[in-house]
Amino acid sequence: MCLDSMGAEAARPYVERANPEHPSLLDVAHIVDERFGVVNIPNSVWIDESGTIVRPVEGAWPDAPEVPEPVEGAPPATAPGRMGEMMAAAGKIVTDRAEYVAALHDWAEKGAESRFALSPEEVVARSGRRGVEEATAAAEFELAQHLFRADDLPAARPHFREAHRLQPDNWTYKRQAWSIEPSALEGPLARFWQGPLPGKEADWAYAGDWVVDATAGDPANYYPRFKP
Amino acid sequence: MILTTERVDRETFERGTGWALRPEGACRGDVCVPLTAAAIRDDAVDVAAVAESLGMPIVRHTKALAALGPASLGGRALTSATAPDLVLPDLDGKPFDLASLRGQKVVLVAWSPY
Repeated sequence: MCLDSMGAEAARPYVERANPEHPSLLDVAHIVDERFGVVNIPNSVWIDESGTIVRPVEGAWPDAPEVPEPVEGAPPATAPGRMGEMMAAAGKIVTDRAEYVAALHDWAEKGAESRFALSPEEVVARSGRRGVEEATAAAEFELAQHLFRADDLPAARPHFREAHRLQPDNWTYKRQAWSIEPSALEGPLARFWQGPLPGKEADWAYAGDWVVDATAGDPANYYPRFKP
Repeated sequence: MILTTERVDRETFERGTGWALRPEGACRGDVCVPLTAAAIRDDAVDVAAVAESLGMPIVRHTKALAALGPASLGGRALTSATAPDLVLPDLDGKPFDLASLRGQKVVLVAWSPY
């Protein structure tokens, strides 16, 4: 599912290029955050034949190579300015791709006998914190995306900010809000800018931005390490 | 779910929250939470009453626009390992029900173009 409040037209070029055999759905309101506890992309949930979740939300690279492929047209990490900072920050993100793919193949083959298929109790316990703050963050985000889709971004921003404050480890709430702001870039990379425009830093509507938040603290802040 | 009224019909509540309203209460998977007598009347759901029983916050934008957050009881994102109900549209707007994939393994992957 594509988590994007920009709607079907933003997702379509990617889906048409991938031409998947599996269903490809659109989640403009990030309902999977509410229902399943998704907090970043790519994230996955494994569900068995009976409809029971056997692995809750975790970083997911189901068909990815062991080393991330460079984004088409992306500059090197040594490029001057924000693009270089973004590429350098992206280069520090840790992704346990090989472990994830091996675990997925193991489950596909062995099903319930796979050591990666967790018990119902473990699934619930690992499914992420959801106190009143996280639940309120979800409501704030839903209001924000609703107002944005009604063409009222100024009214949406305070609700996006509240969602970010209440659940700082939810990256889909942040990346969504940042990626609909004006970008200094054009083309496929435009939505990865996710930060203030050069010389207009004071106009930036959010407490954080992608470079600041992605480089704050431990790299596992971004994608928690794969846990068998 | 987005709220524009204080009461909604059952189906809207169930589709919007993933909680089924049954005689024993609001249920998801193997978990059922009893509701107060005021919660459902004449097939209309008093959203504030059900929200209180399930620990769902209501955030207001204006008097006529609010959002109902997910249940916070239990303190975890999942209240049960049973996969929540999920119906989402494909790119052409056609609804797809996750439950239609029962009988096969499913990897639900969240991605985005940003």
